[in-house]
Amino acid sequence: MTEARIKDINRILKERAKELSEASVDQEIVEESVEVVEFVLAYEKYAVESAYIDEVYPMKDFTTVPGTPPFVLGIINLRGKILSVIDIRKFFDLPVKGLSNLNRVLVIKTPEMELGILSDFILGVHVIPKKSIHPPMPTLTGIRAKYLHGVTDEGLVLLDVLKILSDPEIIVHDDIEA
Amino acid sequence: MLSQEEAFFKELLSMYKIEAEEHLKAISSGLIEMEKVKAKDKRKSIVETVYREAHSLKGASRAVNLEDVETVCQSMESILSLMKQDAIDTNAELFDILLKAVDVIDQLINDSEKTDISEIMNKLHSLEEGTSQEKSAEKKKEKSKKSEATPEKKEKSAEKEEEKPEAKHEPPLKEESEPEVPEEQEQPKASDSTAAPSQPVEVQKRLVSDTIRIATEKLDSLLLQAEEMLAAKLTSEQHNKDLQSLSLELEQWKKRWDSYDAEITSARHQSEIKGHNQSQGNGTLIDFLLWNQEQLKSVDTRINELIRISENNARLLGGMVNNLLEDMKKVLMLPFSTLLKILPKVVRDLSRDQGKDVELIVRGSTIEIDRRILEELKDPFIHVLRNCVDHGLEKPEERRRSGKPVTGTISITISQQSGNKVEILINDDGRGIDPERVRKVAVKKGIVIESEAAALSDEECRMLIFQSDVSTSPIITDISGRGLGLPIVREKVEKLGGSLTLESEVGVGTTFQITLPVTLATFRGIMVEVNGQVFVIPTVNVERVIRVSEGDVKTVENREAVIIDDKPLALAHLGDVLRVPKKNQTIQQTNLHQAMLLSSGEKRFVFTIDRILSEQEVLVKGLGKQLSRVRNIAGATILGTGQVVPILNVADLIKSAARITTIPTRVSKTEEAKLEKKSILVAEDSITSRTLLKNILESAGYEVKTTVDGVDALTAARAEQFDLIVSDIEMPRMNGFDLVASIRSDKRTADLPVILVTALESREDRERGIDVGANAYIVKRSFDQSNLLDVIRKLI
Repeated sequence: MTEARIKDINRILKERAKELSEASVDQEIVEESVEVVEFVLAYEKYAVESAYIDEVYPMKDFTTVPGTPPFVLGIINLRGKILSVIDIRKFFDLPVKGLSNLNRVLVIKTPEMELGILSDFILGVHVIPKKSIHPPMPTLTGIRAKYLHGVTDEGLVLLDVLKILSDPEIIVHDDIEA
Repeated sequence: MLSQEEAFFKELLSMYKIEAEEHLKAISSGLIEMEKVKAKDKRKSIVETVYREAHSLKGASRAVNLEDVETVCQSMESILSLMKQDAIDTNAELFDILLKAVDVIDQLINDSEKTDISEIMNKLHSLEEGTSQEKSAEKKKEKSKKSEATPEKKEKSAEKEEEKPEAKHEPPLKEESEPEVPEEQEQPKASDSTAAPSQPVEVQKRLVSDTIRIATEKLDSLLLQAEEMLAAKLTSEQHNKDLQSLSLELEQWKKRWDSYDAEITSARHQSEIKGHNQSQGNGTLIDFLLWNQEQLKSVDTRINELIRISENNARLLGGMVNNLLEDMKKVLMLPFSTLLKILPKVVRDLSRDQGKDVELIVRGSTIEIDRRILEELKDPFIHVLRNCVDHGLEKPEERRRSGKPVTGTISITISQQSGNKVEILINDDGRGIDPERVRKVAVKKGIVIESEAAALSDEECRMLIFQSDVSTSPIITDISGRGLGLPIVREKVEKLGGSLTLESEVGVGTTFQITLPVTLATFRGIMVEVNGQVFVIPTVNVERVIRVSEGDVKTVENREAVIIDDKPLALAHLGDVLRVPKKNQTIQQTNLHQAMLLSSGEKRFVFTIDRILSEQEVLVKGLGKQLSRVRNIAGATILGTGQVVPILNVADLIKSAARITTIPTRVSKTEEAKLEKKSILVAEDSITSRTLLKNILESAGYEVKTTVDGVDALTAARAEQFDLIVSDIEMPRMNGFDLVASIRSDKRTADLPVILVTALESREDRERGIDVGANAYIVKRSFDQSNLLDVIRKLI
């Protein structure tokens, strides 16, 4: 963490301490912020709660799988295990920027589901106060709104990983009928 | 986000599920064993075991707040405790109810919300009360004995430090010498993935014995890492090859040098002779050349040294990796008994439904096989057993008439074959498969033409039952008869790299022989390139590789086809079937195409491809949790280079190809759908059922007309054309049976398929359904819409 950042945090903390010295609740300082991994995808900044990120994996190569929906970019070799990678640009109608060597895969995981989210590059880990997260704009509808947790004051789009991972529509189960 | 507590509870719950499953398996196999064993003392010890299992399950359920499970367990316990004291009639009904209770608990554990326990609780209670009332009414003696029994039992349990009514503690075993562990301390143990579930004694026992429990997840991750070592092995082999090619290059340099050697030597002499006459430059240049030679020679020596070392390394590493993988696979092996445990209950349930007496004999259940194969085998086993019970074994009366023992026998024999193979024989002593009947059905269904069928040997004919749609059963029931089960068995077995044969003698019985590899190791695959992408085709499915020239391709019934061995075979480009986008046209336009004749089961298809790359061993991996099933793709493999290559599912591929080529080119899809919309007549008196059926059928794309009873339906069937009738049985004015009978007796509607959907589920009713000529019989209790739609699709 840069010094400026630490100073920043110290300042925020001090201010809050002051505010809260009047109110008797002091646990909230810890509860009210959330640690996120910020990444860039198609010139937009996104964030995912770091608690759900298993690792960040450099994507060197991927294999497309015919017969899968467009949001499935393909599969990669994650140390001997196959991991499917999804391209959330397809959910948000974002312009598709070609792949580069900087492409990173955010491996997100719950006991039931594991998949990779494609990103252009990672900006870093930040702590953002929950207060600064606002619900997504009402103009967003359908799948876009469904997977969004909120937008911060700085215009950072926070993805709702749990929703993405638990959405049955995300699972490809194409049973071919005779 | 999950709070820590929630996360802990979740983990606890998943541990509980594993534990509960084991208890349930033990309970149900115990119950079945109990029913068989007549000797009292032996039976008693089984009752004791089952009792203990039920008790442990109760305790565990309490820990995770599954009150319903707890309640059912409690009741089961009470009944078992009566059994221990011989205070209850151990008749078939009792076992039925207890086994039903096991089913209910299983449902509860998997979906506690949707399961209602009131029915089973009533049954359990009536069992319990029935006995006590009986007792009190019949014999005072008995009663006093019973009241005596309780203290007596208390005595027994005091020895075991057990307090029955409160059941505060886990039931310790008799041999337990350790001080009792209070429940509160025990619970965290349940969350420990390596520890045995909440049974301190068990933990102790297991520590003494030479087996331990390890979470399968951990083992899988170990296997994964071991498999990854293959990459290290391949890389080291590759390094060795690189060094060798470097050495070869040096070799060429040496030859070249040698050819100039004479010249250089003479030049050197000359420069020495001429000495200072010549310019100094030439001399130093020659010195440099010679120095250069020395250097390169020493490099060559060192490279050769390295080659030797790397060769040794590669050999050593290769051996180590192979051993590690081999042992790792052995670790993942489980005895067949883990799968076979569930089968007695399956057979029992099936045979009771059918009113048949069946004894199941299992041999060789200790033989071990890869866990992943074992998991895949569950369905095939159940399908084959269903087939044995439903079609193979005769009814008791019929058996008596033909002089066979009334109780039918199904035996499962597992034996280790040479090397990496096991053989599974599933045999029934039923009526056998009549080749004539199979022949008739196959011809009727258009699978073989009559002349072909006549030419088939009886053996070949019997093998036809593994084809989709071939069923010799006169009626579709919930259990079987749809001609789906055995094809699934065949597909699974082939997918696992095994083979399947059948022996049958009319009147004597049928034997299914399944041969499987012990470890799900690597299999051979052919790598092909299609539109620039690489795929692996399992070698098992490749009948042959051929070349097809444009002139060979004929059009048969609007499909492209080639003639192979005088038979026309459909043809498609693999890239078109997979929908792999074409890369820019770099492939030279030749007249000849590489093609492969692929087969899955009896189906064959020719696929043209761009080129064949190689054949090699491949290791199948799943596509990950998100891609649970992808059409045409069976999995993926990772090459030595780290590249991921999809493995094709040939069975799917042939289905997809058939679909692509049959779509007529001109008719657009919507028009086609309109043209093909089939109409169904529904006869049902209940408004809810009627609406439900209408909705299900309409959303499946059928045109639906509803009628309120048999008379109404009959009038409609005579007035309009329908493709199928779905009818209830119990209806006012005219019931379903009479409706079917009237429809069959009318020439215009005699061939109209009828499905009876009904609450009646007795055998007599099913048989009456056959008698009046219904095509299928679906019981409402087990009704789900996919079931109905499946049956409809089979019929029209």
